[in-house]
Amino acid sequence: MKLPIGWLKELLDYECPPRELADKLTMAGLEVEEIMQLEDETVFDVKVTPNRGDWLSVLGVAREAAPLVDGTLKMPDPIIEGASPAAGESISIDIEDPDLCCRYVGAVVRGVQVKPSPGWMQSRLTAAGMRPINNIVDATNYVMLELGQPLHAFDLSLLHNSHIIVRRARAGEKIISLDGSPRDLTEDMLVIADSDRPVAIAGVMGGLDSEINEQTKDVVIEAANFAGTSIRRTSKKLGLVTEASYRFERGVDPSIAKKAALRAAELICEIAGGEAAQGTVDAYPCVKEPRQIKARPERANAVLGIELTPQSMAQHLNALQIETSLEDGLLVSMVPTCRPDVVSEIDLIEEIGRASGYENLPLTLPKARTKGMDSKEGLFRDRIRRILMSCGAQETLTHSLVDSNLSELCGCDESMIRLRNTLTEEIDSLRVRLVPNLLGVIERNQTHEINDVCIFEVGKVYFRTPEGVIDEKLAIAGAMSGNLWRNSWNLSSEALDADFFLCKGTIENLLDALGIKSVQFAPTEDTFLHPTRCAKILVDGVEIGVLGEVAPGMLEAFDVKGRSQVYELDFNALMGCVPDTLTYHHVPKYPALRMHMAVVVSDEVKYEQLQQVIAQSGEGFIEKTELLDVYRGEQVGTGRTSLTISMVFRSRERTLTDEEVNSVLDNVKKALSRNLAAGFR
Amino acid sequence: MSEQDNLEELGKSALARVAQAATSAQLDEIDTEYLGRKGELTLQLRKIGSLPADQRKDFGQAVNDIKVRITDAIEARKKTISGGEIDAKLAAEAVDITMPGRFYRIGRPHVLVQTLAKIKDIFIRLGYEIVESPEVESYHYNFEALNYPLDHPAIDEQMSFYINDERLLRTHTTAYQHRQMEKRKPPIMVCTMGKCYRVDAVDATHNHTFHQVDCFCVDRGITMADLKGTLYQFAVEMFGADTNIRFRPDFFPFVEPGAEVAVTCSICAGKGCNVCKGSGWLELAGAGMIHPNVLRGAGIDPEEYTGFAFGFGIDRMPMVQHGIDDMRLFMDNDLRFLRQL
Repeated sequence: MKLPIGWLKELLDYECPPRELADKLTMAGLEVEEIMQLEDETVFDVKVTPNRGDWLSVLGVAREAAPLVDGTLKMPDPIIEGASPAAGESISIDIEDPDLCCRYVGAVVRGVQVKPSPGWMQSRLTAAGMRPINNIVDATNYVMLELGQPLHAFDLSLLHNSHIIVRRARAGEKIISLDGSPRDLTEDMLVIADSDRPVAIAGVMGGLDSEINEQTKDVVIEAANFAGTSIRRTSKKLGLVTEASYRFERGVDPSIAKKAALRAAELICEIAGGEAAQGTVDAYPCVKEPRQIKARPERANAVLGIELTPQSMAQHLNALQIETSLEDGLLVSMVPTCRPDVVSEIDLIEEIGRASGYENLPLTLPKARTKGMDSKEGLFRDRIRRILMSCGAQETLTHSLVDSNLSELCGCDESMIRLRNTLTEEIDSLRVRLVPNLLGVIERNQTHEINDVCIFEVGKVYFRTPEGVIDEKLAIAGAMSGNLWRNSWNLSSEALDADFFLCKGTIENLLDALGIKSVQFAPTEDTFLHPTRCAKILVDGVEIGVLGEVAPGMLEAFDVKGRSQVYELDFNALMGCVPDTLTYHHVPKYPALRMHMAVVVSDEVKYEQLQQVIAQSGEGFIEKTELLDVYRGEQVGTGRTSLTISMVFRSRERTLTDEEVNSVLDNVKKALSRNLAAGFR
Repeated sequence: MSEQDNLEELGKSALARVAQAATSAQLDEIDTEYLGRKGELTLQLRKIGSLPADQRKDFGQAVNDIKVRITDAIEARKKTISGGEIDAKLAAEAVDITMPGRFYRIGRPHVLVQTLAKIKDIFIRLGYEIVESPEVESYHYNFEALNYPLDHPAIDEQMSFYINDERLLRTHTTAYQHRQMEKRKPPIMVCTMGKCYRVDAVDATHNHTFHQVDCFCVDRGITMADLKGTLYQFAVEMFGADTNIRFRPDFFPFVEPGAEVAVTCSICAGKGCNVCKGSGWLELAGAGMIHPNVLRGAGIDPEEYTGFAFGFGIDRMPMVQHGIDDMRLFMDNDLRFLRQL
């Protein structure tokens, strides 16, 4: 809200430079965000918190500032001579729905001349951020800014039967609002009607056909108090937020209505000629009285952690115009109707804290002794992150809000959660998987000519279970593309580019570092992955994730150049596989012997099968096998593959002799040729 | 010439030859010639039997002395010679050490995760238990349970992404508080962190997705001074010993009294600069004493227990720390950005 300081000075007698006043208001909770210097006026831009609707006026700020600058409030006191016939003889007011309108004050000014308002008023409205319209409307806006009471002016001649009825709209009723838009009204909306039709949407906007116009002679001024929640709902429904609705939503003081109506009448007489009718019509079916609240001074000290005397607490509250006395050791406060936010003891305690100054609170620490610790997910996440980073992956964070088209493309539409409302279509759903996001990161980096990318993310994925339950869980995913070595001069680039096996190696490395044994990679199907270059990852037979090369179709859809490898693991499933403790096995005492063999088998035979046969026929002496070389070509014939395998022979009981090793190797070779039709080179 | 003199001569000539030897092979020859099974000294030693008994001991001693001297000399000479041979070999193996090193680049932690990790460490030291919290929340936990009045403008400040009438993406990490209060007994000191979402147009300083940390403490006798002290302690550990904090009243429905917390601007040390818009302060957190309605709603008696809570966004911290001028960089994952921090 924009607050011209000259205006404040009219309502508050004080001496304080603007900068200092701004600091004091800010420290009292009314933040001055900016001090603007206009031609002949200093204007504060203040940020009013939603609980303090009473600050949305010059008067409200003056009231807050008074104790801060030791100032004296100068409340406007409109004087109306009042001509007959009295207001009550010109108009009649009926409140049919007092639950939504506790007070409606009408004042009448006759014989006005509608024209632009005088310069002083126009410049003040402009400084406060409002657009001048004509003298009548400007006067109502002026009073709203000054006293916080939204007003509306009707052309009396356009109100049928001079009757004002405050009621809920009837089904099917319509109105054209002041901005020229036709509006459909619903039965939960409050309207101001005359005897025939709605003439205003209560507290939001007036109607076009009862508005002040150049021919207007007689004016009805409305100063009413509408229920905030109703105004808020209407305003939301119509998509129409006005200065009036903004104030009603935040609460308007019902006790100011009459003064505001008279103040507007006074101003209109001054700037538009005319004569105010005697008195007002004041329908006030539900009178709001100051609220009595009691507070325990010792409770206030206990909450704030300070030691104030009950007397000084009472003084502070009185300075804030919350009339307070001490009775039987209790603070008994009468909270004025302009402070609907103060409803209970804790609210008074806040006022005491505010008035005594937050800057005076001491610095202490809680005496509670609790054990600080990370969550088990947090600890595991950090462990995973450290391993993957040392495997060469850069950590990334990507958006959870994603384009539903991409999830559909990846075959995730079944479980995808869509948002009901959004900013743009590119973020209309929650991610079901991490890998599409990571592929997106590769694409974006490729557009910057960064083609060698190795990244990972540990983050949430969100899904709807087959039963329809909305849920979320942590996932671990990585992606790699290009040559991940730096300065790989003299090394063949073909062998260095990230391929399926580098990706698989990362997973093997990760699982090994976590102490997870019995890992298996098995064929799988995944829309996102290359059909013959992907695998599911099983630990003890339970699937914990997938890995593989990204399907060519996906690369195309994401506009990614070259091949990319990805993996995605279920965080909790992986965490469940990690052994609690690792047991030490004696390091072998006896020396090892290393032998090589070149096995030639049909292309159909899997390396895993070779390993199994070797393990079974190795009589427990083969500690480990390693694949050294794979060859397909003329020398072995079509449909055949030659694999050079290195084997480490060792016994835990004794040193093996060459003869023993040769005999084991012989058995292995026999078994391979018997079971897998293997030949040897 | 006595046997002794003879021995001396033999030693001298052997040592002279060792000194002149140019290769390890020559030294090996000398070794064989003098010390081998049929070597000169070995032959001398065999003479010992033909000497008178009283001379045997001295003679044997003398032969051994010379043997040791020659052996040492050969060893020493060998080292010198082979050093030279190795030097020559190594010289031929020289590399250009200014050529670039070859390595498999290790990854770095994302800058926001670094910030979160630092914050997490501080709160663990201060006695907080870090807990996980859902991002897809219910309207109840995100607003209602936190004392947001129905149809109140306070909700407008947190425009939400809704999934349906009941479920939304949390607009603040504070949403986890009530869940924790319901299942714990005081003393409670817990902290959570993670993504939050608000319908907010994306620009250099705003994003629809941002990261928050939220802490709260409930026990007997918890005061607002404890809150202020806790945030001071945090600020000092996070931003340095010279950091100060500023508390001023603010409004959040779930706390009363409520406060906005600012810390000394680390760019200008509080003197006022562009980053802090001349105020010398940077907004840090929203904070306050947990509203009695919130405690009561979670089954905690507000007469017996009090508590404080605070929450803050963390995205601006690394922006100030590293001079990052665009919040979007965090989630864009441009490696040219990530690899710098």
